[in-house]
Amino acid sequence: MKKLTALLFTVLIVWGCTGNGPSGPDPDDFDREAILVNWADNIIVPAFTHFSETTDQLHTSAQEFASNPTEQNLVKLRTSWENAYLAFQHVSMFEMGEAMQLRFRDNLNIYPSDTSNINENITEGGYNLELPSQNSSQGFPALDYLLNGLGENDAEILASYTTDSNAENYRVYLTDLTERADNLANQVLENWTNGYRDEFVSNSGNGANSSLDMMVNDYIYYYEKHLRAGKVGIPAGVFSGSPLSSHVEAYYSEGLSKALFNEALTASINFFNGTHFDAEVNGQSLDDYLDYLNTMKDGADLTMLINDQFQTAQSRAENLDPDFAAQVETDNSLMLSTYDELQRNVVNMKVDMLQALSINVDYVDADGD
Amino acid sequence: MRLTKILLLPLLTLAFISCDNNETAKIEAPSTYEFTRNGESSVSFTGQTTRIQMASELTSAMMDFDNTTEELLLEMYRNETAEGGDADPFQNEDLNEATKNIKGKVAASTDYFSSNTQLSAEIKNEFEGWLSAQVQDVFPNENTQAAPGQPGQIADGSSARYVNGKGFEYNQLVGKSLIGALMADQMLNNYLSTAVLDAGTNREDNSNGTLADGANYTDMEHKWDEAYGYLFGNADNPANPAIGEGNGFLNTYLGRVDADEDFAGIGQETFDAFILGRAAIEAGAYDIRDEQAQIIRENISTVIAVRAVYYLQSGKNALDQATPDYGAAFHDLSEAYGFLYSLKFSRVPNSDSPYLGMQEIDEMLAQLEAGQGLWDVEPSTLDEISETIAAQFEFTVSQAAN
Repeated sequence: MKKLTALLFTVLIVWGCTGNGPSGPDPDDFDREAILVNWADNIIVPAFTHFSETTDQLHTSAQEFASNPTEQNLVKLRTSWENAYLAFQHVSMFEMGEAMQLRFRDNLNIYPSDTSNINENITEGGYNLELPSQNSSQGFPALDYLLNGLGENDAEILASYTTDSNAENYRVYLTDLTERADNLANQVLENWTNGYRDEFVSNSGNGANSSLDMMVNDYIYYYEKHLRAGKVGIPAGVFSGSPLSSHVEAYYSEGLSKALFNEALTASINFFNGTHFDAEVNGQSLDDYLDYLNTMKDGADLTMLINDQFQTAQSRAENLDPDFAAQVETDNSLMLSTYDELQRNVVNMKVDMLQALSINVDYVDADGD
Repeated sequence: MRLTKILLLPLLTLAFISCDNNETAKIEAPSTYEFTRNGESSVSFTGQTTRIQMASELTSAMMDFDNTTEELLLEMYRNETAEGGDADPFQNEDLNEATKNIKGKVAASTDYFSSNTQLSAEIKNEFEGWLSAQVQDVFPNENTQAAPGQPGQIADGSSARYVNGKGFEYNQLVGKSLIGALMADQMLNNYLSTAVLDAGTNREDNSNGTLADGANYTDMEHKWDEAYGYLFGNADNPANPAIGEGNGFLNTYLGRVDADEDFAGIGQETFDAFILGRAAIEAGAYDIRDEQAQIIRENISTVIAVRAVYYLQSGKNALDQATPDYGAAFHDLSEAYGFLYSLKFSRVPNSDSPYLGMQEIDEMLAQLEAGQGLWDVEPSTLDEISETIAAQFEFTVSQAAN
């Protein structure tokens, strides 16, 4: 009953503010398909194309290293891993279609990785990487452990692949992981290029099952859970009370965590503005949709508010240590204030933007048990 | 004639209210569950704390694929060996020392089962069936992808759930069903029952301040405390517990329901009813005691029902989409199964019956298990069961679902 009363009041107030009821631009009149076309052709498919190129290179480098485990090849392999991990930040948010079926993100980027299970897989073999219980033993975090976490320095790490009694198993596990990552990338890309693109673009209505509603939900979910919480909030201890440096993305690497975060934030900003992948061209996206509807919040333009807030978060993060693990251990308050700036855009997008676009949130916080 | 009756009713109500108020006013209820006699606490519910902790270890052990055996689980449930000898199945040494066990108090309330021992035995054994099946059917398939008819693991978000061939998690069936079969049954149908509170010379002893042998409490006080212990006995500070703290049993879900604004306050109201009822026993005000028991019966039954509907609806939403999220749905519906099972032990205030008949509940459970089980359950079936439950309570499906 309270809810109903509150709702009635809200309706009355909103009605009062707009003065004469729903007479402004109608979301239904907007050309949603233009956004979907821009997302698919200029952002999603190019990003997956690029990603699959980097996973292909990653697998090639891993095979080269496996057949010739030298320090030089280790360094090369690390570079390939970094490139693919950075490229992944541009596709991680698109967990729909084949990616959703495959549980793409969970197979490629659950961190912290389960190092005891990884070690068990290596010593015992016989693992099935398609099982959900192997999620945290593969993908980029597991590769991070294999390339950066097996020793204090390169000589120690190399020893696992050369002189260790399980050296052969280490090399096999490494290439099994890179092969699987490459296969997952190719499967999703092929799905997009062989039919799913057209399905996605033509499903341009509104309603819970329309492409736009689903994509926007996936986008905000990604921003809230994986970018804001996963990369910043959880390591900063926002949900646990005290900082958890071991929960930083790319924990074993030397300072890749900040670069991954920046890449992910850039990808999020580009998506909101419809910026083409790898080109400074702005196509149709959520910013245009909000502008079309003249969306205001507290007397200010919502598109501008969101973009300004993205800039604030970006500049707040500039001062962070390249290694977030070091950051939360030395000065966590800066990490927390970055989180706060990211959180402000959760509100702008999840509440104000979705309300303006008449999109319902299709996910709830898990029960936790 | 009729008119007179109708007019009389409010008058009578008023009269009752004023009586109540006067009587209540005489009783000083403390703000926490602390009662003393001769300067020492008169509160005791160690047996309940022990059983909650045993249940907690039992459900954890069900997921310890590397170390758990069927024998171990059954010993934890019975706290004795298959031959009836002393067993030490628990990690916590205090639990091994204890002479208590879970099984003896499952479906064992005076009101529901004292002359219904056949049903009691069936229910006790059903839990053993789930424990055995976890080890026999699910453990061997730890590294198999679950499919219809095939036990194994299935993804729920980033974690893996382990299910039987029909999609049920046995650990959820055991854990959530114990909330009703052990905790609510003992609380609502045993210790809060006048048959137990007033058994033998309890009233006379309580009124005269005659203490139980070697104890600092009267028998009646102790019975009331034991009811309290099944709800708050495992809290960090049981005398002043946080609503919702705990490890997945009754207080956890009292907290979950309390956090839903449609049910806000139900936690404090239940806590207050326990305190006032205990204070009323000290004051010899047995009517007030019994009124509090009815409040607790209604609230605890409501908590179980709300969670059953909540999980049925969460499971339905996970299934009812273009790409069904089977893993999430199976987890929700396994919990729903347990809460639905627990409703058998609910209690309508001022009555002798649960909110839904045991047979009716068994039929609904059978609907979930039919065919391929959760792999092919229809969303409409989940809605129907939800509506059937809610219709017996003062809440709607949508109030419970959010």
